[in-house]
Amino acid sequence: MRLGLILTERREADMARLAESHGLFGVLAGTGEPRTAITAAVYASTATDFVRVVVNVRLGREHPVTIAEELSVLDNVNNGRTVVLADTAELTPGDAADELAVIREALGNRPISHEGPRWKVPAGLPANVTAPPSLAVTPKPAQLEIPFWLTGGAAGEVARRGGLPELARDPAGAPPERPVQPAIARITGSLSEDRDAVSAWMVAGATHLLLEIPPGADQSAVMTMVSRYLAPEVAMPHFPRVMSDSKVPLPWPGAGRI
Amino acid sequence: MRELAVLMEELGYDELWLSEHHFFYDGYCPALLPAAASVLSITERLRVGTGMLLLPMYDPERLAALATDLTVRSRGRFDLGVGMGYRDVEFDGHGVSRKQRMPRMVTGLDVLEAAEADGGAPIWMGAQLVEPVKRAGLRGHPLLFSAALPFERCRTLTKVWEDGWAQSGRPESQRPALGALRNIWLTEDQREREAARDWVRASYVQYAGLGWTLPAVGDHQQQDYAAQTDKAIADTVETTITGSADECIKQLRQFDEVGIRHIAFRLILDGEPRPALESQLRRLADKVLPRLRDRVAA
Repeated sequence: MRLGLILTERREADMARLAESHGLFGVLAGTGEPRTAITAAVYASTATDFVRVVVNVRLGREHPVTIAEELSVLDNVNNGRTVVLADTAELTPGDAADELAVIREALGNRPISHEGPRWKVPAGLPANVTAPPSLAVTPKPAQLEIPFWLTGGAAGEVARRGGLPELARDPAGAPPERPVQPAIARITGSLSEDRDAVSAWMVAGATHLLLEIPPGADQSAVMTMVSRYLAPEVAMPHFPRVMSDSKVPLPWPGAGRI
Repeated sequence: MRELAVLMEELGYDELWLSEHHFFYDGYCPALLPAAASVLSITERLRVGTGMLLLPMYDPERLAALATDLTVRSRGRFDLGVGMGYRDVEFDGHGVSRKQRMPRMVTGLDVLEAAEADGGAPIWMGAQLVEPVKRAGLRGHPLLFSAALPFERCRTLTKVWEDGWAQSGRPESQRPALGALRNIWLTEDQREREAARDWVRASYVQYAGLGWTLPAVGDHQQQDYAAQTDKAIADTVETTITGSADECIKQLRQFDEVGIRHIAFRLILDGEPRPALESQLRRLADKVLPRLRDRVAA
């Protein structure tokens, strides 16, 4: 299992940089104000080179083609590191599934011509006389296919319909049969408690666990705990703790410069 | 784009403007706010503006929240330029009837103006006809003129905008400077001059593909990119400023004299060799920027 970090609003760049320097797989941006999640994700993206940038996308507010266009630009900004966490919010399962289908089709590599229970794209409105019956959202994402994870009230049903992973919030909701099973958890900063918590998630079947660190905590110290103790603990089964419990090597002479 | 933005900041440019189209083969940027965020996040001083974001296609409340977020994150370096759009396919792809573009524009402006008054992004507008230009003046928003508008048309419309500003009762002392995109290539080499003008020509062939037309305004004739493609493009190429530094500065100062003090150099042309672009950015920064007053963008 791999660990990631949930970013605090307007501190995305610094926190994402910190997460990357500690070897985490990714960061989650946009959990504060959902309307501005895309800018939060861009700031996390330009501060980093390798981590996956999971962006929280709340469905039901903006036209799905606009959402797809923003995601595509984001994916080009971060060279194909985008993962979408789609929040079904207040939508019914049927409407959420349709909206998600439009976003994914628009991000695909074929022209889109979609007619569903909630959306018709292109709309075919009489005043738009020269509009064609299909269109292509451009630019295309940098990666071949953007991964989608789901959360929200209708996530379970939409996930089943679409064969997509639902973000687990409890170890019991992290079935071990999926190749990718994302999850989210809050850590306390207590090594023993957090060790037990992340281990439980791994045993349950989570593959990517996004961590929320305690408010007001020394983020650098917590991240050191995460990278030195928690990440190794869940990176392999039966981790020999003698390695993480051993003494930390001396600081390199010259303040770390070689 | 981000590398160019960093270079521009190093060279002393003040503003970078981004433009929007949708569903076009070359990946023309359809989402300006994430693009602007990517530049603002890695620069310290450069202002970034949208010139123009097509307002009727957006949820204005969400757009206002995004623009305010960028304004806060960038410490006030973001300008939100908005226009109406004209391509049927772009409206249809976003589920908006073209007939609704004016009411949606007005509603959107109401929302954005409330956000601006509350510390959100300064609003700019794009327009090229008398009535919309006057409305911008009445509402108190500066204009950024298209690069395809000849200087004389910019001057005519500036006067219209100023009349709108005056009618609104706002004090003249608070009147903002306007802006204009300009096709420009600083060179004294005849072959390079011809090549630059031909790249400008090729760039406007794309606008023919987009279905753009510049309507008539008063004595200024229509440029119909659909029906008279070659003539319209040839006329537009004539707006290109080329020549020595002295010649370029002389033409740019015409704009300054009528109150157009934000000049955005339109230098990024589709398929243009990157070394040529960077060289031109450096040349203009070296020989033109220091001799111009106020802001210079690209």
